Amino acid sequence: MRVALLAVSAGVLLAPVATAAGTENVTVTVAPERIATELGGKFAFTSTISNTGPTKARGLIAHLNVLSLQDGTYVDPEDWSANRTRYLDPIALGESTTVTWRMQAVNDGDFGIYVAVLPESGEPVPPVTGPTIRLDVAERKTLNAGGIVPLVLGIPAALGLMALAIRIRRRG
Amino acid sequence: MTELAHPSELAQTSESPPGWLVVLSQELRDLWLGGRGLVLSFAFSVLVGIIAYLVATNTDLNFLEQRESTSLTLQVAIAVGGLLTLLVAADAVSGERERGTLETLLLTPVSRREIATGKLVAALSLWFAAFVITVPYVWFLGHGVGIVDEALVAGLAVGTLVAVFLASLGLIVSCFAASNRISLSLSLFVLLAFLAPTQLPAGAQQAWAGDLLLRVNPLTAGERYVSKIVVNGHGWTEDISWLLSPVIGALVFATAAVLVSGRYIRLRGGVSG
Repeated sequence: MRVALLAVSAGVLLAPVATAAGTENVTVTVAPERIATELGGKFAFTSTISNTGPTKARGLIAHLNVLSLQDGTYVDPEDWSANRTRYLDPIALGESTTVTWRMQAVNDGDFGIYVAVLPESGEPVPPVTGPTIRLDVAERKTLNAGGIVPLVLGIPAALGLMALAIRIRRRG
Repeated sequence: MTELAHPSELAQTSESPPGWLVVLSQELRDLWLGGRGLVLSFAFSVLVGIIAYLVATNTDLNFLEQRESTSLTLQVAIAVGGLLTLLVAADAVSGERERGTLETLLLTPVSRREIATGKLVAALSLWFAAFVITVPYVWFLGHGVGIVDEALVAGLAVGTLVAVFLASLGLIVSCFAASNRISLSLSLFVLLAFLAPTQLPAGAQQAWAGDLLLRVNPLTAGERYVSKIVVNGHGWTEDISWLLSPVIGALVFATAAVLVSGRYIRLRGGVSG
């Protein structure tokens, strides 16, 4: 009976350790670690997920997230990148895989970007995250995009003048 | 207000122009030289200008593709151009009735159907004016990706079908409405109902019921066709099934408007009158 209880306890204790092996020997690095762009600018960075463990790392998911470093700026990560979740192929021991993330700056300000790797088994283990990428997005004012303002003002002005001329003529 | 100053000129002789052409001529003069058409066109150009400015800004910031911005502007132009024709057509009979000029018009030697045809075509002139106003914006937004010709042809075809459909609808409502206010508000309500499916979530639009709703609605089907041509770069016949309801809607409602008006253009409005 005692042997059986010990076996069950050992199983309970060992189980998380065994499943956590999927991410515990994984490291994440990113390049570059600082990016500067302007509002609407498209940019990309890479994350390298390495397997430093004794066995092949399988069933890993890399997920991209972005947040504002200043309070008051609303960030919807879906707007920043259409493809924020990648299901990784198995990584052999000592090997690594590189993922390229393409993004677009939707707001101006200072933002933090990070990549988290977690097992697709859904085990309750902490995800492995890479260093935060600091993103500086400069404000950009587009008052005359492509030179459209003369058109936007000119056509209504011409029609308005015609309407006015007809009204004046009718009154006269 | 249509005033045919010399009824004798309208006598149906072999030399005189058809009655509907005389009515059309008077209506166009009233609409455009009277200033109402230009004021509506001015309002249209302001609205389309604002839309074009916003989409150009978004394109400049890489938030919108050029094809999307061209399609969006064209679709707004079609919807608002259709609205203009609807407003003018909805005023055609009930407006004359309220201004007390319908009796004079009915006394002229022109049949009621010809009156309706003339008024219908005159209302459509607003759509053609709206289209001409839209051309520079479409050129500006689409010339970089070489889609101006396709966009303009698709816009003219779909917009004309939608305008015929809405103008006919407005004319029918105007024949039956007890007052001009009822005619205009009912027409606007119907237009909003036709535009409502565009607000459905993307998932609901892709389901079979949503897809069917978009296809049977001439406005949404027409706009979807324009989007397929301009945004997706599809060929003219690839999505031709989307044009089915705009074509049927335009033909059926235009015929109905002429037939209904032959019987129901009367001095008193209302369905029981």
